Amino acid sequence: MKKYTKIIYLLITLFFVASCKPTVDNFTPGAGSANFTSYVAVGNSLTAGYANGALYISGQKYGWANILAQQMKKVGMKGEFKIPYMPTEDGVGASEGSGLPTFRTKFVLGYSKDCLGNTSLAPVPSNPKATQIELWKEISTSVAANGPYNNLGIPGIKVTDLFGPGLAYRNPYFGRIAYSPADTLLNYAAKVHPTFFSLWIGNNDVLGYAASGGVGGAITPMAGAVGVGFKASIDAAVKYLVSLTGEGVIADIPDITSIPYFNTIPYDPIVLNQTQAGQLNAAYAKYNGAMKLMGLPYRIEFKAGANPMVISDPSMPLPDSLSYLKIRQIKSDELVMLELPTDSLKCAYWGTQKPVPDQYVLTESEIQKVKQATSSYNAEMLSLAKKYNLAFVDFNSILKNIEHGGLTVDGVHFTTKFITGNLFSLDGVHLTPQGNAVVANYFIDAINKQYGAHIPKVNISDYPPVKMP
Amino acid sequence: MKKISMFFVMALVFISATAFAGGYQVRLEGNKQTGMGLIGAPLQFGVSSMFYNPGALSFMKGKFGFDLGGSGIFANVTFEKYESDYIARTDNPVGTPFYFYVAGKVSKNIAVGFAIYTPYGSAEKWNSNWALKYLIQNISLQAVYFQPTVSIKMGDKFGIGAGLVFVSGSVDMNRALNYSGNSGVHLNGKAHSFGFNVGAHYKASDQWSVGVTYRSRINMDIKNGDATFHVPDALSAMIPATNHFSSSLPLPSNLDIGVAYRVTKKVLLAAELDWVRWSVYDSLSFKFKTNPQLLNSISPRLYKDNWIPRIGVQYKVSDKLLLRAGAYYETSPANKDYFSPETVTLNTFAYTLGVSYLPVKGLSIDASFIQLFGQNSKMNYLPANAVGYYKTNTVVPGLGISYHF
Repeated sequence: MKKYTKIIYLLITLFFVASCKPTVDNFTPGAGSANFTSYVAVGNSLTAGYANGALYISGQKYGWANILAQQMKKVGMKGEFKIPYMPTEDGVGASEGSGLPTFRTKFVLGYSKDCLGNTSLAPVPSNPKATQIELWKEISTSVAANGPYNNLGIPGIKVTDLFGPGLAYRNPYFGRIAYSPADTLLNYAAKVHPTFFSLWIGNNDVLGYAASGGVGGAITPMAGAVGVGFKASIDAAVKYLVSLTGEGVIADIPDITSIPYFNTIPYDPIVLNQTQAGQLNAAYAKYNGAMKLMGLPYRIEFKAGANPMVISDPSMPLPDSLSYLKIRQIKSDELVMLELPTDSLKCAYWGTQKPVPDQYVLTESEIQKVKQATSSYNAEMLSLAKKYNLAFVDFNSILKNIEHGGLTVDGVHFTTKFITGNLFSLDGVHLTPQGNAVVANYFIDAINKQYGAHIPKVNISDYPPVKMP
Repeated sequence: MKKISMFFVMALVFISATAFAGGYQVRLEGNKQTGMGLIGAPLQFGVSSMFYNPGALSFMKGKFGFDLGGSGIFANVTFEKYESDYIARTDNPVGTPFYFYVAGKVSKNIAVGFAIYTPYGSAEKWNSNWALKYLIQNISLQAVYFQPTVSIKMGDKFGIGAGLVFVSGSVDMNRALNYSGNSGVHLNGKAHSFGFNVGAHYKASDQWSVGVTYRSRINMDIKNGDATFHVPDALSAMIPATNHFSSSLPLPSNLDIGVAYRVTKKVLLAAELDWVRWSVYDSLSFKFKTNPQLLNSISPRLYKDNWIPRIGVQYKVSDKLLLRAGAYYETSPANKDYFSPETVTLNTFAYTLGVSYLPVKGLSIDASFIQLFGQNSKMNYLPANAVGYYKTNTVVPGLGISYHF
């Protein structure tokens, strides 16, 4: 029997020795030739973590720059990546479009009733009761004392603002972190003694123009001195940041006409029956006659079914005395902005009896200008990345690919569609937490490639999807 | 009958295995065979032949016999995400496949018997918040086979046998959905199906014997499974909380060909080649009763057939003690581009050990031990772009008792 006890002991020992968890070790984090000791992120609202139409606490936390910084901690980053957190989770945002900005809290998905009494799921303010004064107070309260901050994403800024004195006055998001009105954004960047920088800027240089339908703001020209022209300003900015750090990453800007802000409301949302179409055609007979008389190609014609909207287009070649005729039907390749009040389409005869104001539409010629500026900016940024041996992220190509074929990571599918596309938040411009994680991984890819580093990528599924009621 | 129904309940509660072998197959249907590299077709190890080779049942010793046993599968899967330091490990329950055989000779050359065994099963339990939670959180697949068997000996050397197989199985799985508020779906379904198991055994001489066994493919067709969706209220009109689904999971056919050679009175060598027709597992689809346009899914699996070579040896120390050892190598039937973490099946090397103690004539206490090394492999599930390295380590102790008179 002793013999068998021995065998049993042997088996038990074998069991415990053998039943260990297997180790896999295919990846070792490392900094390569880069130095990630202190990282400064310079940019606009995308870098700030602005989302759902506002800057607010969890949005800032889920911003790609913070995601990237947390991964850099595994490859040598020391200390904290300081973010100028807003005081509240509702946050403060400013409306896109022309005119004076109005402040608002972030959007959440909620039920809203339209003018016809139909309830649907739509972005609504998280706190509709917040007053302009309260929001102004929140955004203008200085948090400079807790700085200096590593996240220098300032919503709304253009390339020409980087060295601009007085930015603290003009932009409350910078005003709340600046030590003195004399601070410029780039001088501020030196305060965290950065060894590595990211610079993702240029979106507002075209978006400011595009998001107002070409009405307000101008596209930053390529030519001109620092503070005026894109080329001189970005050249000086990159040169300065390289002088501080030696190493960094710059990203180009996507073609903003791909984003849901410009692609959610279709060009032909006017649905008519035969009678309604006939009545409108009768009313526009004089317009069509006048255009024919003047030898202009414009015609306004309605049919049963979906119809293109009537828009106002001040660029039409007509004398000012005939400015009431500067209306036409929108073309299928022209873009309608997300902020178009759709109730006006449904109940106030916009798009049929009344033209949709120009500020809600990006016309063919405006789109052309946006695309041209985007490609000039991107070419300049790519040449700077090469000149200074910096990592480069080509978001223009990345977003094009997603627009055409989607992107799937870890079982999460991304498209450029509004809300269902997972990539863009409820403002149609800025990223969701999962979208920020995707962007952070693209930055990691570019940095790893340029510097032979091994910054680990993040799991997309660790980040929350769009919140639904 | 009471005993059988008790086993049935036990089966539904416990049996499951993972990271054990190819796909979701679990070939632990006799501790004697398990000790010898899981070889069975060319051997005459009594009533457990009903699974391994029904043709060999007619070679059983005595007039009546039974064999009862089980194993504990302790499986560890480690996942390391591609280009990341993220590591996830399964927290799998202990798999407990079991077998029960009872058979008797109705005449000199005819034996009949009844077998209950569990040749397929799988359980993977990942952390519910792990990186690939949108593919799978946990799954448990169970199948119990019930097999009445008859075996006929033609002369002294040749035996054939056949069994009708009734399968009772179930699937239970959880998957997260990419909506807010910890959305997810729970699927639970039962399936019943039929198949067969046939074998031929030829004892060429005192030294040589050969065997061939074929076990048919059985489809586990889930007809009216329960689906429970947990999604935000805003989606409840599109995705109702309760739904029914149908699905089908193939349990592939097996062809085993083996040869055994008695070198001396004490030493028995055996080798076997098993062909598993995994290519029938082409895709996994779920069809839903309510809102099928939105919810139905077809996920490619694209498994391929595999061949498993096995070797084994038995050494008779004395009339009371037998020692066994074996080894085999199994290539993964899974496609490396359509590799789902619901069934982590890798190229696997295994060694086996076994011992039988015979205190009195006819009674045998059988123990076995296997260790399996699933090799570090980079896998992707292309439709989800879920890339990572998988590695497994599994140990399986087993214990059984058999008796004949």
